[in-house]
Amino acid sequence: MLKKSQKTNNSYLIKQLPQATVFVDIRKAIVFVSDKWLYDFDFASSAVIGKSIISLFKNSNMEWQNAISECLKELPNLTLTESHIDANGIKKWYELQSTPWYDENENVIGTILQMKDITVRVLAENKLEKLEVIFEDISEIAEIGFWDYNLAEDKMFWDSRTKAIHEVAEDYSPNFIDSLNFYKLGNSRNTISMTVNKAITHEVPFSEKLQIVTAKGNELRVITSGKPLYKNGKFSGMVGTIQNVNERHLNEEKTHENQRLLRTLIDNLPLGVSIKDLESRRILVNKSEMEFCNVTSEQDIIGKDDFNFFDKSQAEITRKDDLAVMRDLKPILRKEVTHNEGNDEQSTYLISKIPLIDSDEHAYGLVSIRMNISEIKQKELELRKLIDVTSSQNKKLINFAHIVSHNLRSHSANISMLLDFLAAEKSDLERGKLMKMLLKASNNLLETLDNLNEVVHITTNTSLRKKQVKLNTKIAAVKQNLSAELNQHNIKVLNSIRDNVKIRVVPAYIDSILTNFMTNVIKYRSPKRNSFVKLSSSTEENYTVLHIEDNGLGIDLDKYGEKLFGMYKTFHENKDAKGIGLYITKNQIEAMGGKIAVDSTVGKGTTFKIYFNDKD
Amino acid sequence: MIKINSICIIDDDPITVFGMRRMLDTLVTYNTINTFENGKQAIDGIKAMMLAGKEIPEVIFLDINMPIMDGWQFLKEFIALPIKDKVRINIITSSIDSTDAHNWKLYKDKTHHTVTYNHKPIRKQEIAEITKVA
Repeated sequence: MLKKSQKTNNSYLIKQLPQATVFVDIRKAIVFVSDKWLYDFDFASSAVIGKSIISLFKNSNMEWQNAISECLKELPNLTLTESHIDANGIKKWYELQSTPWYDENENVIGTILQMKDITVRVLAENKLEKLEVIFEDISEIAEIGFWDYNLAEDKMFWDSRTKAIHEVAEDYSPNFIDSLNFYKLGNSRNTISMTVNKAITHEVPFSEKLQIVTAKGNELRVITSGKPLYKNGKFSGMVGTIQNVNERHLNEEKTHENQRLLRTLIDNLPLGVSIKDLESRRILVNKSEMEFCNVTSEQDIIGKDDFNFFDKSQAEITRKDDLAVMRDLKPILRKEVTHNEGNDEQSTYLISKIPLIDSDEHAYGLVSIRMNISEIKQKELELRKLIDVTSSQNKKLINFAHIVSHNLRSHSANISMLLDFLAAEKSDLERGKLMKMLLKASNNLLETLDNLNEVVHITTNTSLRKKQVKLNTKIAAVKQNLSAELNQHNIKVLNSIRDNVKIRVVPAYIDSILTNFMTNVIKYRSPKRNSFVKLSSSTEENYTVLHIEDNGLGIDLDKYGEKLFGMYKTFHENKDAKGIGLYITKNQIEAMGGKIAVDSTVGKGTTFKIYFNDKD
Repeated sequence: MIKINSICIIDDDPITVFGMRRMLDTLVTYNTINTFENGKQAIDGIKAMMLAGKEIPEVIFLDINMPIMDGWQFLKEFIALPIKDKVRINIITSSIDSTDAHNWKLYKDKTHHTVTYNHKPIRKQEIAEITKVA
């Protein structure tokens, strides 16, 4: 036991210790405490002396209670680090140091516990630890290496990642110049030299994207950053990072290249391409589409819809299609659309519209592709015309071949038959008869040949020159030639054609055509009434049309319509009819680029309409 | 000699008609022979024969290319007539138009009458073969 005076003395000394200290006897009751300890744990002096230290902390966190118990096991010089959470929930870290308490005779009479508040240090350590981990992660992921240059020693420190970037061995140790020599000769080397120089003289940090050539000869893109350091106002060194951005750079390059490629591609397509948003406003267009909308710069077209460029009606159709594509998520493919180009010209386009669909299966716009097929259309039209002409000519040719064959065969058959009879005939009288018939057959053959010749001449002679003639002059001449017959049958010619009407014709053909029609009027007049023929003219498209109307016999077009203009077709009991006139007439009219139409009623009369082509 | 009651020739060419008659005279004996210049005259003539209760021709020689009413138009109207007896119709033509041959097949299958298709010039031998009661 301690003497009373000594005890008081000890108590006073311990009370003033700067560190939180508590003396505990072997029964774990508190004997002495420092004021600091009381302050740290918020106890009153009177409330703790003689009290069990265990009971004092019975409401503390379990870890703390365990640590206290550990410290009271009378082990020599134990140091623990543990946290204490007070009644207010505030957590503080302490370094607990326990030392056995000896009396003068070196007997252990308890434990001296010192508790040092190390909360600030622990928190700082934790933070640093965390930062280090994060830092390591970042530099690994981002491939960032560190370097540190010391001017006094002219030593360049590279961390392992910097070395890895430069592809040098772990023991490689460069000086300042060595490190700069890794930068590629030319722009990169110049830039790093100038930048470093500027950084040192102006005391500014730097960051540059440059190219290095590694020890193994590989070219890499890096971002080098650095900051100059100063000691007593004098440059002392530099620290910085180097980041490998080669892959990123290559990706960026690739992306740029792809963008350029795409742009070049769509700009040079012979198609108008535009990408539109939900409101049908253009987001992207190519050159061809800009030309179509008659704008020269992208600014004039981006963000604008069809209503800005075209008729309301036309724009409405486009908008309707756009909406349908985006609503149904179904493309419109190769829709044929005609477009007014303004200057009276119409163009034909094939338009395809493809919806742009996001990952939620909603449309966010569409791609519109426009192809001008006007030329193809034009060609197609010309081709179709050519086919029509060719097939009609072909039909004519076959028809003509049949006619030739038929007519020549029928006459030669007759001649052959008559010759057979003649060879077998004994009677002179009969032979004379047969000879007469043979002569007739031979004449018929010659006449047929003449007719065919005339037809061939018309069909093959396409080089005949057309001239402009006054229609009335030609009519007057024909009327003059036929005046005897017209007068004889008392046929009135009622001409209402104005004198200035002109037609473009082959003069010889128009004489023949008019003569033939007028002759037909005379031949097929009705004996039951006073005959007349009315002549008039009109204009239809490219044609000047001559109308020839008579009140003659008329013809049943239902029965004979197809054959009216055929060769050797006659329809009336008329001995003068040869069935060649209208065939030749039709050929002549068609050879001049015209056409012919007929309207007739039996017993009433016939109207022919002859179309003279004004253009070609 | 073949014996035929009534023969009819329909052709607009007088020389052909002359030749046909001359050949028939040496091949057949007949009671009557009628010639018509075109289909219209022929169909009118045959209708008149029927009305008058006269004998209908047993053999008809028919040209195709004729004015006013051609051979096909005649045939169309003829097969529509109420004639129970089988009539032999010999088409004789100088046409090489394939549509004519096609038409013949159409008409041949449409009627109970016998219809043959022959080309000009026609020889005595052929006339002998096709001139008999159907």
